[in-house]
Amino acid sequence: MNPYLAVAVLVCTVGLMFVLPLIPALVELRRKSDALPLSVVQQNAGEIRYFSDSFRAYMNGLEPIMQGCVVAGTTATGALPDGEEYVVLGRVDEPLVLALQQRDTTHLVMGSDVDLILPAEARFSKDIYAGGQFIGGIKNNFRAILGEKNVHLGASSRVLRWVHAVGEFTADAGCGLDGRISSDSLIRLQNDCNFRRLNAPRIEIGSVAANPGASLPQLHSLANSGRPPRFLHDGDFEVQAGQVIVGDILIRGKLHIHSGARICGSVKSVEDAVIAAGVAVEGSLISAQKMRIGPHCAIHGPVIAERELAIARGSRCGTLEHPTTVSAPKIEIEEGVAVFGTLWARDYGQVVATQ
Amino acid sequence: MRARPQQVRSDPEKTASGQWLRAMIYVLYIIVFVICLYTGRHYCFTLNRLFGFQRHPYIDIDTADWPPVTVLVAAHNEEKVIANILEALMTVKYPVDKMLVIPVNDRSTDLTREIIDKFVEQFPGRIQPFHRVGGKGGKAAALKDAMENVTTEVILIFDADYIPGAGLIKQLVAPFFDIEVGGVMGRVVPMNAGTNLLTRLLDLERSGGYQVDQQARMNLRLVPQHGGTVAGVRLSALREIGGWNENSLTEDTDLTYRLLLNGWKTVYQNRSECYEEVPEVWPVRIKQIMRWAKGHNQAMVTYGLHLLVGKHRATLRERIDGTLLLGVYAMAPITLLGWGLALGVFYQGVAPLHGVIALLSLTAYAAIGNLAAFFEIAAAARLDGTRKRICLLPFLILGFGVSIFSVSRAAAVQMSDFVTGAEFHWDKTERFRKVL
Repeated sequence: MNPYLAVAVLVCTVGLMFVLPLIPALVELRRKSDALPLSVVQQNAGEIRYFSDSFRAYMNGLEPIMQGCVVAGTTATGALPDGEEYVVLGRVDEPLVLALQQRDTTHLVMGSDVDLILPAEARFSKDIYAGGQFIGGIKNNFRAILGEKNVHLGASSRVLRWVHAVGEFTADAGCGLDGRISSDSLIRLQNDCNFRRLNAPRIEIGSVAANPGASLPQLHSLANSGRPPRFLHDGDFEVQAGQVIVGDILIRGKLHIHSGARICGSVKSVEDAVIAAGVAVEGSLISAQKMRIGPHCAIHGPVIAERELAIARGSRCGTLEHPTTVSAPKIEIEEGVAVFGTLWARDYGQVVATQ
Repeated sequence: MRARPQQVRSDPEKTASGQWLRAMIYVLYIIVFVICLYTGRHYCFTLNRLFGFQRHPYIDIDTADWPPVTVLVAAHNEEKVIANILEALMTVKYPVDKMLVIPVNDRSTDLTREIIDKFVEQFPGRIQPFHRVGGKGGKAAALKDAMENVTTEVILIFDADYIPGAGLIKQLVAPFFDIEVGGVMGRVVPMNAGTNLLTRLLDLERSGGYQVDQQARMNLRLVPQHGGTVAGVRLSALREIGGWNENSLTEDTDLTYRLLLNGWKTVYQNRSECYEEVPEVWPVRIKQIMRWAKGHNQAMVTYGLHLLVGKHRATLRERIDGTLLLGVYAMAPITLLGWGLALGVFYQGVAPLHGVIALLSLTAYAAIGNLAAFFEIAAAARLDGTRKRICLLPFLILGFGVSIFSVSRAAAVQMSDFVTGAEFHWDKTERFRKVL
């Protein structure tokens, strides 16, 4: 072979091999098929009511039909603008209950301005709008519910996505609440319910005293002028029973706060934290590992555990005037606990019987 | 592995040039070791993001007794962008009576002042302008002067080209309920990603840097870096460490390390995303990265040794990671030096690596090590749910080439400035948005 040709072939071959991995890159550069900025949600601030608000707007078009059905006491069916089929109930009577019971699953968006009382073991694969009271039967299975008044779930029912009740939301024993549950007034869960994200001015687990932890002193928060001193300790630390500490305490080890102690500030433990009975914390309470909060404690600020959190009976987090967030990947919460604001178990939350 | 130069010369170890050669080889080994260390770090971070436990401890705080907050918007000749951020800040979901915006207008000579004043009129009581007409240049100096107007415990900082979303302020404030937290950093997302090749490469780089690097550091309790924008700082912590360092070219890096040395943590919130504008032309990008490199190296000289071996409150893993992070921009000239040394010893007729193990190591590094940074960025793109943009990965070699020479040049200039006593010069990053 001609040596010049050989060199040319060699150069071309090497050049081709070099360019080969660039071909998809050049194609993408030219086509710009994935060149939009990464989607950053600008307007949705993570509102728990985002889905229910959207669904209310979505159902607005059905309002005249729902009112018409209530007046006439009839049932109407049809399709929404996006093609979803719906059923509007103007009355809930025996034939309807029988129909729901006989179906394996109802695959219609359901809307009603009358009170809905559902039969046991009914399953709904689409969202439900309830203009009146909503009372589920036992072992119901729902995708999502928007209730303009109270919403009650029967024992062992399950919600897959979300529920919002303008009134109270209550769930009997053994319910599984997989998505977002919110209420504008009260959420009450009974024993053995599991949950993920709850938000209401007041969340009660089982039966709660009318005013749990009422003896707590005035709130301290970041809002107050002048910071309390920060006490930083390397290693394990114990706050003695009945001790009062004014200031924030940051523990680079395990923390044990004995019964009746009061921290006029916030608390952070880098390892496990054990909070004994009757402890009051006026600021936030954070553990970078596991945390166990004993009975009849009162925490004003956010309660965060990065691994697991257990809260015993009679404890209270936040107040009606100063709601807060309680969050951990895994939460076990006993009956008799009250949380004002948000209770968020990222992986799994469980109501357990008082020990 | 020990250096075993080939016997192509007569006992080179006994001659002066032989000793030089030996020294070169040892330096080369050290450089190879350091490069391997950084390669391992890339893999460690990437694998952690793909398979490890992800820490987002504060992102769930959506209900709280929200504290008062001051939002500082650093602006120097920002007429193209300042209106966008002020508009966005006026619509965020945060109690209106608890948020004060202070645009820090640093000696602007364009229409920045007029635009700010118009917003002040439009939103009385919610924006308190700070018009700075003199003083030292640079963002840190401007922020330092603006601090006399700040009374809240929580301070958030944005550059003027950022556009915060509705929930961002709450997300950035939430970590301050943790009394260990002195600084907070959110995620930066380029909004002009699709403009040209440069912006697309920067989009990928940002993705790798935040989605993988920063979040992995957060997961592993290392040293997430304060970025100086889409960020927050606690007033009491800032006072404790002596306030903003106006002599620093990168006040964010400086802040990260001073907080760390004083027992405060900087946390990263990967889901607190905010749009920014990235440079659209290479000269601006080169200027930007040179400033970052100089500032970072400045911090390395100031804090590196003390962080690694000094007496302070950082943990062992923070000491190691913090030191490696400080050395990131020093790696460019070190790599160049390594290339030079490798070529030098090769043309001296010496092959410093011998044997099967050396061959296997070289092959393994070529197969895996060289891909570490690319693997990281590809993983970030996957985590972001973007697919086609991964096709652009081979072009990153271009960005890498430009960076390595720019950063090395910055280091050389910095050393020259040190010798001659020249002062650092702060270069503002040019904006590309159209004036409203």
